[in-house]
Amino acid sequence: MTPDFAMGQTAPDVSLMQAAIYAAAGMFGAIFFLTLLACFTLPIFFAAMGSMSLSLKVLQNFPDPIGKYSKLGGLVFRSLRRNLLRTALTYVALFVLTGMLTLIYGVVKSIGKLTAEKEDSQMVIMSDKFSIPSQMPPGYAASLKGVIRAMPPSSQPRPMIDEERSKKGIPASPLGAIRAEELDQLFRDDLDRDEASPNRRRFRALATEGLNENFMTWSFVGASLDPAKFTQENSLFLFALDPNSVKYGMMSEQGLNKEDLGDDNWDEMLRVIDTMNGDRRNIVIGEDRLKTIGKKVGDEVKFYSLNYKDITFECKIVGAFPTGSRMGNSAAMQYDYLDAKLGDYKKTKGEAHPQADRCLNLVWVRMPNKASYQALAAQVNDPSKFNAPAAKMETFSAVIGSFLEPYKDIFWGLKYIVMPAIGVIMCLVIGITITIGVRERWTEMAVMKVLGFQPWQLMGMIVSEAMLIGLFGGMLSTWFVYFVPLMVKNGTRAVGVKFTFFDNTNMPWEIVILGPALGIAVGIIGSALPSWNARKVKVSEVFAQVA
Amino acid sequence: MAIVEVRDLYKSFSRGTERIEVLMDLNLDVQEGEFVALMGPSGSGKTTLLNLIAGLDGPTDGTITIGGQEISSLSESELARWRTRNVGFVFQFYNLLPVLSAYENVELPLLLLPMSKAERRAQVENALEIVSLSDRMNHRPGQLSGGQCQRVGIARAIVTDPTIIVADEPTGALDSKSADAALDLLNLLRSELGKTIMMVTHDPTAAKCAQRIVHLEKGRLVGQDTITASALSPLEVSR
Repeated sequence: MTPDFAMGQTAPDVSLMQAAIYAAAGMFGAIFFLTLLACFTLPIFFAAMGSMSLSLKVLQNFPDPIGKYSKLGGLVFRSLRRNLLRTALTYVALFVLTGMLTLIYGVVKSIGKLTAEKEDSQMVIMSDKFSIPSQMPPGYAASLKGVIRAMPPSSQPRPMIDEERSKKGIPASPLGAIRAEELDQLFRDDLDRDEASPNRRRFRALATEGLNENFMTWSFVGASLDPAKFTQENSLFLFALDPNSVKYGMMSEQGLNKEDLGDDNWDEMLRVIDTMNGDRRNIVIGEDRLKTIGKKVGDEVKFYSLNYKDITFECKIVGAFPTGSRMGNSAAMQYDYLDAKLGDYKKTKGEAHPQADRCLNLVWVRMPNKASYQALAAQVNDPSKFNAPAAKMETFSAVIGSFLEPYKDIFWGLKYIVMPAIGVIMCLVIGITITIGVRERWTEMAVMKVLGFQPWQLMGMIVSEAMLIGLFGGMLSTWFVYFVPLMVKNGTRAVGVKFTFFDNTNMPWEIVILGPALGIAVGIIGSALPSWNARKVKVSEVFAQVA
Repeated sequence: MAIVEVRDLYKSFSRGTERIEVLMDLNLDVQEGEFVALMGPSGSGKTTLLNLIAGLDGPTDGTITIGGQEISSLSESELARWRTRNVGFVFQFYNLLPVLSAYENVELPLLLLPMSKAERRAQVENALEIVSLSDRMNHRPGQLSGGQCQRVGIARAIVTDPTIIVADEPTGALDSKSADAALDLLNLLRSELGKTIMMVTHDPTAAKCAQRIVHLEKGRLVGQDTITASALSPLEVSR
């Protein structure tokens, strides 16, 4: 996530034309990469075909009908082997096209997933309604907490239950064991009203814990290591926040979670957060950024804020976000330190820092369900509560939706023009190849008909040829697109190396099935006409022409 | 008893608005075990008649009965099934599948019949032995001479033990030596195995191998000759 995007910016820096150019360049790059990959996988394709052909040969020795049908099936493979160059080129074309379709599907699916409104737990963001970037008074955080506390128990954020903590690698709650049944029982609107009752006391403790775990503020600090010069090599972008937010998975969307980081890195992250909590001057910087600015963990660093003019931070680097993660180029500091520095400024200068009343950029809250988010949003959007400046509350998906709004035509085009066009091209490629093959074997088709082959048997043979190429093209393409990044990601992680590209690749798992299915479907559709022609071959006319 | 009965046969084709009468009012009987040669100038309708008898095309009018089965009314798939069992076709250009060995080419029609693997093997080996190609059964058409290819074609035609064998200019693409060998083989099939053979040819020498020559002209049967030479042994005919 870029800072601009995080600030809830709705007007992108990149124009539609530029975005279209980037998209086209990306597509050409993908085509080039996929073509190389397809050529690289040709031996696998032929080996797979050979294995299947060999299996059929073995099956031919079995009693009928297995033996008999294996012989007929063998004809299909032999036909494909007649012109290896043509078969290989068709495979490469289908590999590339299926790969493209898969990649576009992955992008469209991911965007759809990110922008889809959820019914259950919702990550919602409060920001300045009109200003870009969002800048709000720090008091808004406390006010928002007050609004949430006043909501009915069923709408309040709940602390994580023990099973979820264990799964996500989050430390146990200081309130002891927390079970789903207990939360269901206590977070009810008809909860005992008696303040002295044990239920009420336990609910209050859990609700406070729930708010702590599900609430995060962000203040952005841009800084340079050199007061006189600001360059890419000496600059830092920091999130000023409560480090415990990371521990509770509030920065999951930024890749700071057990699943994305891996067990070891996540444990290290928890240790770093504890260290960070030890002193408000402690900061964590992404490994990529550390390399760029030439620092390492343990160094003391002094930097000069760009957006908080005349404020200097003196920090100690106590940890690093892993390279390749979405935080690899960013940094995190304690909000308390920023707050203290703003206080120092007021003491020294006799007046508040110009940014002091605008230092809260975003507030993130994880609400238990859609209804609770809507109830909270109604209050935040109420001008009588947050009016200087006016604030708004949106779901994370809505924020992304707003961000992507200017590009919606490109996504529409990808989904409804490019994807179907690729499908049509795939059908044409396979259709032309099979048509040429059928034309070349026109007399053979007629001979087979003379020998007694039924029209549907001829049709089946042709369709099977197309389906086989489609199946292998679709299968190998999508499997490579899905499994190679996954293997590289896990393999390199195992040896402690991370590659940004592969780490951020998250293709939907269903492509593993959709790819081969698409290949088969394209094979059937593409070969429909040539196989129909083969079915209708008129023997007497063929031989009249031959004669 | 006539195994092939052609009655009042008409066949015409349309080319645009033009209607071309290819066969007209044709009647023909072929006895079981008879070797008949069809002769006539180009366009006289010989191949069309052969195709109709082999069930590759349907007549415009009239009936064709082969072995007691009237085939003119059969559907396309019924005809396909019928052909597998009852017709062996020998082509001028052999028309073997290049990706298959001689054995596999001969076995191909048997795959369409309910037969065990052992039965198939026995019949294929037998057919290849008849055409003296047992030692070439694993060769592909590209590795065989034209004459050998035609013998594989003949083996494929007889492997299903069909009711009739139809041959469309089987010597047309062969040199004289190979042509003689192919004709010997056809004669052998008739004399030793009692096969009924109908052969289209332009070659009068080839036609003399048959017992009867049927002359066609402009779609009509214009005459028939009975050949006494057919009484000779196949080897004598070839000389």
